[in-house]
Amino acid sequence: MLVDLIQNTLDGLTAGAAYALLAIGFTLIFGVLRRINLSYGPAIMLGCYAATWFHVQFQVGLLVLAALTLAATVLAGAYVERLCFAPHRDRSAIAAMVASFAIWMQLEELATLVLPNHLYAFPALYEGGPLSLGPFTLRAEALVMFAVTVLACLALQRLLYRSRFGLSVRAVIDQPVAARLVGINLPWVFVRVFAVASALGAVAGYLIVASAGQVTPMLGMWSTLKGMLAMMLGGLGSLPGAIVGGLALGLIEAHSQWFFGPQVRDLTAYFLLFALLALRPSGLWTTPRHG
Amino acid sequence: MDDYVTGVLTNIGLFSFLALSAYLLLIAGEMSFGQQAFFGVGAYSGGILTAIYGLPLPVAALVAMLLGSLCAFLVGLPTLRLRGLYFAMATLAAAEMARILFELFRFQRQIGGELVGPDGTQGFRGIRWVFERGVEPAGYLALVWGLLLIALVVFLLMERSRLGATLRAIGEDPDLARSCGISVERFKLGVAAAAGALAALGGVLFAHHNTYIEPRNFDIMLGVHSLAYALIGGLGTAFGPLLGVMVDLGVLEGSRVFQGYRMIAFGGLVAILLIFRPRGLLDEKVVHWLRARFS
Amino acid sequence: MSALLEVKDVVTAYGKIEALKGVSLEVQQGSITCLLGPNGAGKTTLMMSTAGILRPRSGSIQFAGAEIAGAAPHAIVARGIALVPENRLVFPGMTVTENLRAGAYQRADKAEIEAHIERMFARFAPLKARATQLGGTLSGGEQQMLSVARALMSRPRLLLMDEPSLGLAPLIVDEIFRIIAELNKDGTTIFLVEQNAHMALKVANHFYLIEQGKVTFSGDPGSLAEDEVIRRAYLGSARA
Repeated sequence: MLVDLIQNTLDGLTAGAAYALLAIGFTLIFGVLRRINLSYGPAIMLGCYAATWFHVQFQVGLLVLAALTLAATVLAGAYVERLCFAPHRDRSAIAAMVASFAIWMQLEELATLVLPNHLYAFPALYEGGPLSLGPFTLRAEALVMFAVTVLACLALQRLLYRSRFGLSVRAVIDQPVAARLVGINLPWVFVRVFAVASALGAVAGYLIVASAGQVTPMLGMWSTLKGMLAMMLGGLGSLPGAIVGGLALGLIEAHSQWFFGPQVRDLTAYFLLFALLALRPSGLWTTPRHG
Repeated sequence: MDDYVTGVLTNIGLFSFLALSAYLLLIAGEMSFGQQAFFGVGAYSGGILTAIYGLPLPVAALVAMLLGSLCAFLVGLPTLRLRGLYFAMATLAAAEMARILFELFRFQRQIGGELVGPDGTQGFRGIRWVFERGVEPAGYLALVWGLLLIALVVFLLMERSRLGATLRAIGEDPDLARSCGISVERFKLGVAAAAGALAALGGVLFAHHNTYIEPRNFDIMLGVHSLAYALIGGLGTAFGPLLGVMVDLGVLEGSRVFQGYRMIAFGGLVAILLIFRPRGLLDEKVVHWLRARFS
Repeated sequence: MSALLEVKDVVTAYGKIEALKGVSLEVQQGSITCLLGPNGAGKTTLMMSTAGILRPRSGSIQFAGAEIAGAAPHAIVARGIALVPENRLVFPGMTVTENLRAGAYQRADKAEIEAHIERMFARFAPLKARATQLGGTLSGGEQQMLSVARALMSRPRLLLMDEPSLGLAPLIVDEIFRIIAELNKDGTTIFLVEQNAHMALKVANHFYLIEQGKVTFSGDPGSLAEDEVIRRAYLGSARA
């Protein structure tokens, strides 16, 4: 029993690391633009599909695949930004969100037109079996996932707190009107935030499909839902919250799956989200906002 | 009319109920990502009542609508005070919970030598009340559109009344409406309940048209589609959502011109349309102009 | 003296409601010019229109001879205008030092920025003690100082100030006006919106009265009895 609990916790944290990465990207966009980008996951999915297509055609190596995923995801993200968010900058958040859903439909169909099968193999990161630590097992991919998530968080931290771009991002999140008053060019910040968020999403997407060893069009919806869920659990718009929310979601899922099975696992996650929204709409770990 | 055209027209009618349901909340200023859940509640409860308990369709439909509005009321109770995106997320969570509950829902009975009823992810087969009574596709089409017509007339009367004005006032500026003495929360709860009933009616009709439903039918895609329908068609009149459904199911899917890449066409169309007409084709301005011209 | 800022027939609207119905005024180089008027007269709207946050529907705003009406806020900052907004709008989740650094966002001279921040701390002593504290945790008066200091970090030729004394204790209001006079002496042109007509008239070289979106009076502080100015600034002449 205790062994299972610990094992589940390990698995949950592994999944949670991926969720955290997804949630950070989602949160960056939400925090800066105050918009929900439903096409966030589908853009990642398209990036992974583009890489898969290259792999099917030319049998490229792991690093090339990762680079391709990154490039294609950022490109897809830029397309989404131009079509769904740039035109609605000073207008309705609802219109932008529905537009991002419309582009989701497009990206998903585009992916299935290029690669029509339901499922494609994706080269795994590591061919050997899981590592064992006493009674526990841990997949090598999980370690990579963890390491990369930690590195990505550190890099983001550096970017946000040590660069001029980071200063502008935090200013826009903190107080958008004042950010404009000190001379920050908002549209330009939006474009770059989209690029950074897409890049983070691409890293998450690549690790997820590489550990699963396969890619399906469902990855789009899955990434959007998990990212959004983790973001909501952590409090809308808070970056540390996104990390906590991602890990929490992973843990909740792993434990409820072990106790009640996969359907109840998803049910629990949605129930938590619903209850949190109804009872504490500012999220679990948010500090009250001033001004 | 061949069966294909009849089928497309019936579908347009069915999904218009769902689009109207999303529209009703939109004009009250709330974006729900969860109307598909009440569509599902209607489909499941209506199907069970006719297929397992042998009740006539009209009775089943009434019960399903009541159930749909009750569920919508219960979801609205803790969520309607939330604003904007928070409400959208809460309804999304509620609808996904409903879909998973459908997946866990098993309730089968022996009817005439075969097992009938919801069987979890395997779906719910044998909702044949309409089929067994020998109703022709054209007859069912007339039923669906007859009911839709009634709903539209109610909407049009409502929009010209004080009720409609109140609704739009709440949608445009809830704080102002509150300061005018309108009890905004209570009003929105009523709207949510009515929208739930509308969606449930669509669901009942959908279940009896297809004779087979499964939890997957009621996923988030359906919900966002219904929102998109209302937004493409326009928020100025109840004909807006209908127009939205027609554009997608009628023109894009029905014409089969875009077969294989319908979603690329539909998605692009919606995104571009929203840039130029963020409140849809038939928005308040156009409707105002049309009314001034033709009345 | 020549006009640094020239506002001509500016109309700014929120939807169908015109908040500015054709406002014209001038701010002379090196002056403290004050705009007085009752609540809702359009003072903040004019400030926001000048800073580029709101886009005028028509009319012209010329700054140092160049047209800036409708330009993006970052372009206006680049030309040398900074706004100390109503309610201060400091960055609540950023430290005082970061707030100041954000104020210098458009400057590239890194070393000089840090030196400038030190000079700000020298001028606004209470901020120095709070350098690593978050903006949101400061008192109202400290936030106002921070907001002024942040605006100065862009080294503006024209400083717009929207109700800097709002909600502050009398002692702090005195301090703020002392700072305004000092900044002006150092060569910054100041365009000030105030409710506190008494204090504003003490520092201003020139003032305008605005009522219901229109300028209704223009003159030097001595040109109209102070109680008359105060009455119109609070109540508007229509209701008098």
